[in-house]
Amino acid sequence: MLSRRLFTGLVLAGLVPVPGIAATEATDRDALTRDVLLTWNRLVLELVRHTATYSPPVAARAFACTGITAWEVLAGLAPDHRKSLAGQVNALTAPPAPTAPGIDPAAAMHGAMAFSVRHYFGNTGPTGQRAMRAMDSRLAERVAEGMAEDVVTRSLEHGRDVALHIIEWARSDGGEVVENMGFPQTWALGTQPGHWEPTSKIVQQQAPLLPDWPKNRPMAMPSADACGLSAPPEYSEAPASEFHVQAVEVYETVRNLTAEQKLIARFWSDDPMLSPTPPGHWIAILLEITQRDDLPADRLADALARLGIAVSDAFIACWQAKYQFDLVRPVTYIRRHIDPSFEPLLITPPFPEYPSGHSTQSGAAASVLTAIFGDNFAFDDVTHVDDGLPMRTFPSFHAAAEEAAISRLYGGIHFRAAIENGLSQGECVGEFVNRLVTFQ
Amino acid sequence: MIRTALALTVLASPALADAPEVPRFLAETGGVAHSFTGEWEYMVGGGVAAFDCSDDGLPDLYFAGGAGAASLWRNTSVKGGALSFERGTSGAEVDAVTGAWPLDFDSDGKMDLAVLRQGENMLMRGLGDCRFERANEAWGFDGGTAWSTAFAATWEAGQPLPTLAVGNYIDPLEEAFPWGACTENWLHRPEGDRLAPPVALTPSFCALSMLFTDWNRSGVPALRISNDREYYKGGQEQLWHLQPGEPPRLYTEAEGWQRLRIWGMGIAGADLDLDGYPEYFLTSMADNKLQALKAPKAAPILPQYADVAFAKGAHAQRPYTGGDVRPSTAWHPQFADVNNDGRLDLFIAKGNVSEMPDFAQSDPNNLLLQNADGTFTESGERAGVASMLTARGAALPDLNGDGWLDLVVVNRNAGVEIWRNQGTGQPRHWIAIDPQQPAPNLHAVNAWVEVRANGVTQRHEITVGGGHGSGQSGPLHFGLMDAPDAEVRVLWPDGTEGAWQTLAADRVWTLPRDGTASAAN
Repeated sequence: MLSRRLFTGLVLAGLVPVPGIAATEATDRDALTRDVLLTWNRLVLELVRHTATYSPPVAARAFACTGITAWEVLAGLAPDHRKSLAGQVNALTAPPAPTAPGIDPAAAMHGAMAFSVRHYFGNTGPTGQRAMRAMDSRLAERVAEGMAEDVVTRSLEHGRDVALHIIEWARSDGGEVVENMGFPQTWALGTQPGHWEPTSKIVQQQAPLLPDWPKNRPMAMPSADACGLSAPPEYSEAPASEFHVQAVEVYETVRNLTAEQKLIARFWSDDPMLSPTPPGHWIAILLEITQRDDLPADRLADALARLGIAVSDAFIACWQAKYQFDLVRPVTYIRRHIDPSFEPLLITPPFPEYPSGHSTQSGAAASVLTAIFGDNFAFDDVTHVDDGLPMRTFPSFHAAAEEAAISRLYGGIHFRAAIENGLSQGECVGEFVNRLVTFQ
Repeated sequence: MIRTALALTVLASPALADAPEVPRFLAETGGVAHSFTGEWEYMVGGGVAAFDCSDDGLPDLYFAGGAGAASLWRNTSVKGGALSFERGTSGAEVDAVTGAWPLDFDSDGKMDLAVLRQGENMLMRGLGDCRFERANEAWGFDGGTAWSTAFAATWEAGQPLPTLAVGNYIDPLEEAFPWGACTENWLHRPEGDRLAPPVALTPSFCALSMLFTDWNRSGVPALRISNDREYYKGGQEQLWHLQPGEPPRLYTEAEGWQRLRIWGMGIAGADLDLDGYPEYFLTSMADNKLQALKAPKAAPILPQYADVAFAKGAHAQRPYTGGDVRPSTAWHPQFADVNNDGRLDLFIAKGNVSEMPDFAQSDPNNLLLQNADGTFTESGERAGVASMLTARGAALPDLNGDGWLDLVVVNRNAGVEIWRNQGTGQPRHWIAIDPQQPAPNLHAVNAWVEVRANGVTQRHEITVGGGHGSGQSGPLHFGLMDAPDAEVRVLWPDGTEGAWQTLAADRVWTLPRDGTASAAN
């Protein structure tokens, strides 16, 4: 297995053997197109990790936008068998069609990704800016090798036009501008027992993350509450209540964690600024499958678009429920009513508890990836190998999603209801995404 | 249950309790004209070494220059008067310098310099009269070729020379994928009268600050490292065992070490709560930490810390003036008693990394004055040091010998700023202590100096390292409030307890290990 950095270095150097390289030129360019898309997405995962604005909901939106961009580039080049998402995704109109024949897919993809990534990650730090410039330069050189200059120029411009079209579409969705990393400058806490309270000692996080995110325009769902949830168990401090019982379950689970449970909790922890975030974890899985199975460029672009839409909509649905129910986190309740010294294994995220965001978006991701690749599609997950967490193997996407969801109980940051109902909510979101038609 | 609406600005400030006296700082560069310059390769670093190389009792200043040359400025101030400096020709005016720390490597009584660089690091032997010569070869120091950003030194028991730790940052050649490209930190231990080839402190996680500190008062300092999570994979803050004659070894979770992952930029240590154990301030971006031992009375003491920054009003997580409400970026932290009230205060140098729009661009330096109840009150603006330039390193020496600590700040791509502390308007007392022992370790690094006055015992550990790119040496300063004298003793690095002596305030005292204290002025 190649590590992320080694893999990328090899791609940039043109050393990864590309199956079919000796076949037709079209096959050669398709493999290069796929590699360009893979490489940019590898960089996107790093930029998500290293750009402070990129909390999981914001990251999910960027994955959706870059994924749709990639798909629309390729759909426009083969409209006979690839169907644009225009008219299917909310408010998306048809992107510019190629104005002349002879568009090279690899150069167009590079033009689109370079423009798109620079836009969505314009506020990354100096190292990210430097990396984007270096990536742009190296891949531009790579896609131009052996190609006529006018073809390259035309193709790069076409890619940029498509990227710009998607950017303009996304500007009106409500998620374009994220201030103060998504934390309101002022916030009035809920006044009832059981409402969310800050759990962090960081000043910014005394207000919850992105309370207005449910107002964003969904992509495949008709509305933010299209996958609404029933209420969690009624808040109670009575020992026999379902709420208290679920809190005790969190407490006892954390106190008696096995080594395997700790590993699972950390594997799916996916903390912002320390990982590519939960949606990035699923993107990383997809990239690894692409590499393993030598997927063609259009399969990758299709999957990136649909997976991106799924996790993006999942966060809108999830956040809608979070601020509807405004539920207290386990650490707050347990310290107050069970054990003041309780320490969850994971960092408690700074926003209401119900439902679990990772569960919702993992449910959606599993639904969409299962629709693309099939049931019982086994894969290895190497997302965190570079961080010292060993590879995990899953028999199916649903198995992975279930592990991601239960990891939040092991981590001590969610009650069971948030986990189970979150997964169901994600499935609901996935069903909307699975209705999108891409290949025809 | 009664809960109230939360006003963030109120929560960020603890209740004022016995508000501390605010010193008045006067901007006065004294003729110093220097900038730490450069682009991406110099986004971190930018330090100053404050130490007396001219033997006149006043600290001189050596500045890192980044892409430009470093420079040394001789302190020509008149005692108690305005600040003035003259540019010297020291032999240490090399380029690519990120930081510098003074230490008397060969214990000859002349301060030497550890100079960290983007490229080969250098040990500069002090020749006296603020002149230096390269000593890498003479002392067996392998300067490497890395991007070096952190330094610390200690004298291990029985060794004639210090042990040096050098923290290294990213591999600058990794343009497109620099993340995860942290290079190895090095530990240089003595071998006879030279340094042995360095040992890699692996795993290394892009260190930006290192400090040898006796965190549990065991008598053997450990190496604390603050790491930049922006670039490591699988990393965290670190604490290394360094037992004489044994390989360095990381503290583990089984020993109580708790994982912490921040944008670690600088370390400052001091016994703030007077319990005998140091607290540590760790600078970061939006989440600075003030760490206090959870159970200092436990046996054994575990390296487990509670973050009390928020509770004590020392979080300094966003600008307090200027209208920019985005989170802050903190670099050099330093504890020092700037108002001579007997309580350590905290200075934090602030400044955006480089056009990071998620973080404040107008990010004033902090001067957090400690209140009587142990909380802190932000006083940077009232004190006159709320500069909006892009700060990195700093030092708080007494530049004109008047007993009020002054402030030197190095800015990135902007001029150095120096402020003269004009005092609080109140006739507060102070004392400065300079312990000395026979070679090796002439200046008693990792000794503790204790000062009893006003019914409390203040303790300072003598360290070489920490901060951000910056270090200072010289007498340890203690504020005494109204006390005309103080009892003083030294706990020497080998554990020997010096005798208590009563010394008059408002003096700089040299304390020989086996002799009588003498006042320098």
